Amino acid sequence: MAKQAKLKCLRCGYEYTAPPSESAELEERTCPRCRSNSVRKIQEEKKGDN
Amino acid sequence: MTDVGRHPRIKLMTLSEVENISGYIGNFRVKVRQKARYVDENECTACNECTDICPVIKPDEYQMGFSIRKAIYMPFPQAVPSSFVINMDECLGNNPIACGKCLEKCDKKCIDFDMQDEIVELNVGTIIVATGMDAYDPTELDEYGYTRFENVVTSLEFERLICVGGPTDGHFVRPSDGKTPKRIGFIQCVGSRAYKRGHPYCSNVCCMNTIKDSLLLKEHYPDTELSVFYIDIRAFGKGFEDLFNRSKKSGVRYIRGLPEHIDEDPDTGNLLLKVENTTAGCIEEFELDMVVLSVGLESRQDGDQLRHLLALSQTSDGFLAECHPKLMPVDAPTRGVFLAGCVEAPKDIKDSVTQAGAAAARAGAVLSANKVKLEAAVAVVDKEMCTCCEVCVRVCPYGAITANRKQKIPAEVTEAMCRGCGTCAAECQFGAISIRHFDDEQYMAQTEAALEENPQDKVIVFACNWCSYAASDLTGTSRVQYPPDARIIRTMCSGRVDEKFVLQAFKLGAPIVLVSGCHFADCHYIDANRWTQRRMDRLWSRLERLGIRPERLQLEWMSAAEGNRFAQVMTEIEEMRKQVTREEIEETRKILEEYESRKKSKA
Repeated sequence: MAKQAKLKCLRCGYEYTAPPSESAELEERTCPRCRSNSVRKIQEEKKGDN
Repeated sequence: MTDVGRHPRIKLMTLSEVENISGYIGNFRVKVRQKARYVDENECTACNECTDICPVIKPDEYQMGFSIRKAIYMPFPQAVPSSFVINMDECLGNNPIACGKCLEKCDKKCIDFDMQDEIVELNVGTIIVATGMDAYDPTELDEYGYTRFENVVTSLEFERLICVGGPTDGHFVRPSDGKTPKRIGFIQCVGSRAYKRGHPYCSNVCCMNTIKDSLLLKEHYPDTELSVFYIDIRAFGKGFEDLFNRSKKSGVRYIRGLPEHIDEDPDTGNLLLKVENTTAGCIEEFELDMVVLSVGLESRQDGDQLRHLLALSQTSDGFLAECHPKLMPVDAPTRGVFLAGCVEAPKDIKDSVTQAGAAAARAGAVLSANKVKLEAAVAVVDKEMCTCCEVCVRVCPYGAITANRKQKIPAEVTEAMCRGCGTCAAECQFGAISIRHFDDEQYMAQTEAALEENPQDKVIVFACNWCSYAASDLTGTSRVQYPPDARIIRTMCSGRVDEKFVLQAFKLGAPIVLVSGCHFADCHYIDANRWTQRRMDRLWSRLERLGIRPERLQLEWMSAAEGNRFAQVMTEIEEMRKQVTREEIEETRKILEEYESRKKSKA
């Protein structure tokens, strides 16, 4: 099963997950709270990382 | 179609598939596979003797499976060319010949089982894409029972049932028992305006198609009771409202509300449905002889290959994107390619014909001019610096750059194909590509000038020429106030914004940098702004690794009409700017100076 993408808005700081989508490349990332497009995909921390 | 087939200057290639397209405006080379018909179309008189004797029976796709055809058949009445074709996957007698009855029966000896596909190479100046659309398949909407209940049909199947040239010669009957239905329901917006299953957009044609069908039925079968279940009736074209009123006056009942599900009475085959009539505010129950699902339109499932061949972009609904919705509505983003009909968006016959006429005129204008004016701002490669890495080849939305890593052939730009978005220049890690009139030094100089005095009070905005730059203009002309600290630097596309422009702005003391471009669906350079998004992701990670807050780099997509949004974004960013301290700016400056010196020493 594809992983959910973890996203963080760099305008308001809101963190959320988005369902995996085939058309993700075609869609803009928009913060559901403040509607900003400064939404960053957060890399999952690797095991052992502090 | 017959006129097109007979026209001395139109070469009609049926049963053909485009395999490859190369070149550019005025000089396209198209490779077409003309599939074997196995019947000599020049000799065939469509006498029908072969099809009469053919033993293979298959559902007729043209009649939506309501009648049968043979393995040798005419695809549809009035097909051009008026010739039969053999479906070799179905035919019994190719190799070894197990049947061959048609071969024996054809007096004209038109049938040739050894016929092969032919590859035809064409040189053309312009290309018009008019590959149409698909109809939505409502099978997934289990509640409507399509394919479970025989008397639930789609609007396309209904068209065949009522057509004079249809499987019943125009005698309208229902599939389960062949009786003429007396109570018919039409369900609108099947697969349209739906967010979970189907498509979120309005398919444009379904309302008027149902209104037309209702009038047709009332004309031929005045006693039929017709009910139309709808969300909204969208009758906005010339004369359409009048047609809608005529339909209502003729006795068709329009019920605002869609049925939740359909049940079938197994004894009679009648369909039972319950609807909340939201106008009357009551639940109504119906027993109908037949239900027609008014299915929406969707982009072609097999359209991707052609889209890639022509370097075209698609909007989020899957249809092809035009170059500009208002100013260039029939031009594709690739120069010399034009769009007509439903390949661009769902539209009715009138709109399709209008767009086709416009596309033909646009194509004719290019061909008759004999010369093409090119933009001066195109990519230029410094071959000495090029490492043949092919990154530019991969990112160019127009396929305008060629290079070969294995053979060490440096990048070369076909200027007729380049539109000057600058994505290649921004992605080139070796500084081998620049954009004429928009080169790196110019951007660096602009940034330097903008941050010359009190950089801590400034916000550097890299604004795309077509959207956010125009939006900032609109903000000004609309007298909308926004903080005066923005310093706007125009780029032709957000794809041009190089990582080094952003890092230099931070090094010069900018507290916040904003990169803004067109909405994904509106990108003037096909998909160049997707590369902006990827680059921003990279930059955010790099800033974080360096110890600079990624929040200081902001991204925004907006259109030229969103002046108010521009002002709102700038106001929000102004608040963020105030939180960046002088110490943080100074720290950033040091980090970036160290980073640069490390890079230089490595080089």
